[in-house]
Amino acid sequence: MLLVDLQVAARNLTRHTRRNLFLGAALASVTGLLVLLGALTAGIEGSMMESATTLMTGDVNVGGFFKVTSGSAAPLVSGYPKVLAVTRAAVPELDYFTVRGRGWAKAVSDSASMDLVLGGVDIANEPAVRRVLQPIGGSLDELAKPNTMLLFQGQADRLKVGVGDVITLSAPTERGVNNTVDIRIAVVVRNVGIMSAFSAFIQADTLRGLYGLSPEATGAIHLFLKDRDQSNLVAARLREEFEKQGWRVMEPDPQPYYMKLFQTVPSEDWTGQKLDVTTWEDELGQFKQFIWGIKVFTGLLVFILMVVIVIGILNTLAIAIRERTREIGTLRAIGMQRRKVLWLFMLESGLLGLFGCVFGALAASALAAGLNAAAIPVPEAVQLFLSQEHLTFQLKAGAAVSDVLLLTLVTVGASLGPALRAARLKPITAMHHIG
Amino acid sequence: MRAKLDATRVLLRIAFRNLVASRVRTVIIGLIVLVGALIVVVGSSMMDSIDRGMRTSIQGSLGGQLQVYQSTSEGKLELYGGIRGESLLDPIPDFARVKEVLSKVPNVKMIVPMGIDQALVATGNAFDVTLAKLRDDVRRLQANARDEQGLRGLEARQAHVRRLIALLSEELTQARVLVDPNGRDASMRRAQRADLDRAAAPEFWVEFDRDRLAGLEFLENKVAPLAMDTGFTFIRYVGTDVEAFMRAFDLAEVAEGKPIPPGQRGILLGRQYAEEWLKLKNARRLDQIKDKRDRFHLRIAEEEELQRWVKDTRSRAREILIQLDPLQAAEAARRLRPALGAPAGEELPALLARLFDLRDDNFDAHYAIFYDRLAPLLRLYQISVGDVITIKAPGKTGAFNAVNVKVYGFIQFKGIEKSGIAGTTSVMDLQSFRDLYGYVTSDKAVELAKIRAQMGATAVSREDAEAALFGGDGAGPLVETIRAGAIDEKSLLAGVGEKRKAALAEQTRAYTQEEIDQGVALNAAILLHDPARIRESLAEVQAAADAAGLKLKVVDWEAASGMVGQFVLLLRGILIFAVIIFFGVALVIINNAMVMAALARVKEVGTMRAIGAQRRFVVAMLLVEVITVSVVFGLAGAALGGGVVAIIRATGGIPATSDLLFFLFSGPALLPRIGGTSVVASLVLVLGVAIASALYPAWIAMRVTPVEAMSTED
Repeated sequence: MLLVDLQVAARNLTRHTRRNLFLGAALASVTGLLVLLGALTAGIEGSMMESATTLMTGDVNVGGFFKVTSGSAAPLVSGYPKVLAVTRAAVPELDYFTVRGRGWAKAVSDSASMDLVLGGVDIANEPAVRRVLQPIGGSLDELAKPNTMLLFQGQADRLKVGVGDVITLSAPTERGVNNTVDIRIAVVVRNVGIMSAFSAFIQADTLRGLYGLSPEATGAIHLFLKDRDQSNLVAARLREEFEKQGWRVMEPDPQPYYMKLFQTVPSEDWTGQKLDVTTWEDELGQFKQFIWGIKVFTGLLVFILMVVIVIGILNTLAIAIRERTREIGTLRAIGMQRRKVLWLFMLESGLLGLFGCVFGALAASALAAGLNAAAIPVPEAVQLFLSQEHLTFQLKAGAAVSDVLLLTLVTVGASLGPALRAARLKPITAMHHIG
Repeated sequence: MRAKLDATRVLLRIAFRNLVASRVRTVIIGLIVLVGALIVVVGSSMMDSIDRGMRTSIQGSLGGQLQVYQSTSEGKLELYGGIRGESLLDPIPDFARVKEVLSKVPNVKMIVPMGIDQALVATGNAFDVTLAKLRDDVRRLQANARDEQGLRGLEARQAHVRRLIALLSEELTQARVLVDPNGRDASMRRAQRADLDRAAAPEFWVEFDRDRLAGLEFLENKVAPLAMDTGFTFIRYVGTDVEAFMRAFDLAEVAEGKPIPPGQRGILLGRQYAEEWLKLKNARRLDQIKDKRDRFHLRIAEEEELQRWVKDTRSRAREILIQLDPLQAAEAARRLRPALGAPAGEELPALLARLFDLRDDNFDAHYAIFYDRLAPLLRLYQISVGDVITIKAPGKTGAFNAVNVKVYGFIQFKGIEKSGIAGTTSVMDLQSFRDLYGYVTSDKAVELAKIRAQMGATAVSREDAEAALFGGDGAGPLVETIRAGAIDEKSLLAGVGEKRKAALAEQTRAYTQEEIDQGVALNAAILLHDPARIRESLAEVQAAADAAGLKLKVVDWEAASGMVGQFVLLLRGILIFAVIIFFGVALVIINNAMVMAALARVKEVGTMRAIGAQRRFVVAMLLVEVITVSVVFGLAGAALGGGVVAIIRATGGIPATSDLLFFLFSGPALLPRIGGTSVVASLVLVLGVAIASALYPAWIAMRVTPVEAMSTED
């Protein structure tokens, strides 16, 4: 039975090739656009998350500030082994963790200088760094030696240095004087998005030396969970646990740590150590906002287009029904039920929608794959927002399928009105209808 | 003629009859056209406003219409910096020559030399400021031992300093958990501790009254440097011929203080920068809360962010308390008590807690109390007008240099006071920039280039570097080099002390125009008599530079703005993309509808053709239908767009809710303005799309032959 219905619907569609081709093409282009923009957003989010979780945040971070005087602040966790022990006991969801020093310094080479956000790393315990970063010179293992650092390609280009060269790091301390250290470039790695423009890694103890810190002090502990969605839960639990164990914990504030360091913490009325538990979402606030902005823009664009499409469907079907009024009358006269008429019309538009959308999604996927392969470089200003250096689309089958389904449903939904009108026709008037 | 007129009349009548007859189709096409026109009008007027804001901000505050820089530079000029820092430019060796050559180009009005960079600023903290006041009192008493004001001040100030020392001592004790006891500078730390203990002891203050100057010296040299309260901040500045700058960028005005005297060294801090980074945090927060309340009508009770800010202000009373000596504290309390309705005898800390207990019902009153009664007693900005600040930066040669400059005032730009672009850059004299940068004159530039070539990759020892780079001729007032090895803090501090006097003398020296012009600059802004002729002027300036053998590259302000300009282009791209997609789909849909209409009227068309209508007539009929619908609904859409824009304006514009938007809108809100061009453009676009989509159905209708049409069943 269904097969016959499908056959009838398909026949009707093919009989009006021109009209349906147009409508199908419109549907296809909207679906294609939706899929393409979705893939772009996913690509941005993907590369952002990858570079962010490598460079500056874990799923949950246990960081903090030490205020020697109430007018100063340093992004430090003193006595971190104890903090770590508490953390490990309280977070069974933990996959792995890394301990990162936090610092900021001006890197000065013979020909240029630039500001770098420094991460003090113990390379032996940095699985993500090893997985994500691809050396183009030197070896990551070299980073285990004292007085070594890792630069990203763009930084090495700007400073005009290569593996083995020595640069000077100059870090301002609270009193406005600079501590400096001469340091050897152990490894240069490929850029990973926007954050690799200004962050670099330095061997952990060298960073401590630069600031004269004890071996028990570090910047933050990055926790990587088995399931990232648990981040907020884990962060809340950790805050509670630390307070219970006698630490002072800062109130949650969705800002990256450097904003707190520059803008809020130095003028707060307390001294000594406070822990600050943040999630990746807190640390990436602005990036999240931007992704949200793209999604809103995509949504708005697609919504407007869908309205136009719906208008088109209404129009096309209205005309089709008018054209086929006599046919409908005849069908009803020979015993077809209203429900059946309704069903046939909806099936017709459903088929049209499905074909159009699938075609659109496939075309978009092909286009995205092509663009990925072409590796189109992104201008700097755009890099800042896309957090990628080459235009990258991340196609997700699930997302594409749901886009197709959504648009098909909209098509079917839009045809409900005209189909109902067709079904309501009385056989007698319908058969007498002219034109 | 008459026949043609008749034909037209018939044509119009038929077209209108058709439109009215198939109302649904007309409304559908009309709606699509309407929405299209609406999007184009609103979108383009918003884009134009963003463009205009950017143009005013960039051209009016730093860019001018054209920029020139050395063509041998490896980087591109980016007035606002790139993601990896400031642009890497080779200096223009002799600005005077550039000025001479380019001034002759007809449309060039002015040429302003520039050097843009970032630097660290030592701001001083509460301790430094209090000691400076103490020194004033001591000086006053030196002149007249019975000066009453001096005596009273001295007592209060001494108490203030002693309290600060006690606090410092307490705080430094805490730092022990953090510091590696055997790490770098361990012995120095022990010595510092001893100094602090000495200053905290009562005996020191007995001694102080006997020899005040010696006591002050000890406090300033040994104890003050230990105060760790944030002693530095970052600054982005443009070194320029300040007088020429103020003339060229006529939106610039000195908001507080006074202009830098002609030819003298000095700096005008960007107003926006000062508000954001230098202002007392509590004052800044109050401003921010007021802004959110007044402009966005947000309420503390409802908004989580505002609640956090209020909590912030409550936790920062100490920053105010530490600034006040006992006399001032008493005065502040006396002023606050009646205003806050507090009981007599309530102390300042309690009063401040009361003041910063902000709610929606008391905010405006407390805001006024803060600014009217408390603020006059406070140092509202970390750097005040009249201060001499030390700016440090690594010169492009790799060495760290420092200069002392006097802050003459805050600079802001009329009409774009709140722009994220204008007012974030401070304006400094060119000589100081050259000192910071490491170059003094064009000869020096050549000499330095030679030295750099000689040095190659081999490190030069400290002493050698200093002698070689600066020739010991006192070119820079404060020059420290740290090319090799770790820096020695003590020698740095000692150096500051010794050279302070020489630097002070240098500050009041006025340089002649020749001295300012003859030397390096990194880039130069060119202002044109007629900004509309920017394209041809660019070519002329480039040609003049090439003819004179100057290795210059000329770019327009948009290119020079770097990422900022690219970002605006990106936005425009997105808008155009959205419009193209929209009209692409609209084209398909309108086309579809018209094809349907044409097919539905095959019989009718056939009949018309049979009774003598020309093909032309049939095509014209369809086109008139489409054009009529497009014009009517297009106009309606444009009018609606105008309405939307008017509503946006009436409600105070689109608020800039994030820093990014603030920057983009060149201010706190975007006030779109409808432009004639955007309306015309939208109508032309809509009409074009509609006609294009009617061509195919018209062709279908045209092909219909009478016989075919009459015999069709459908």
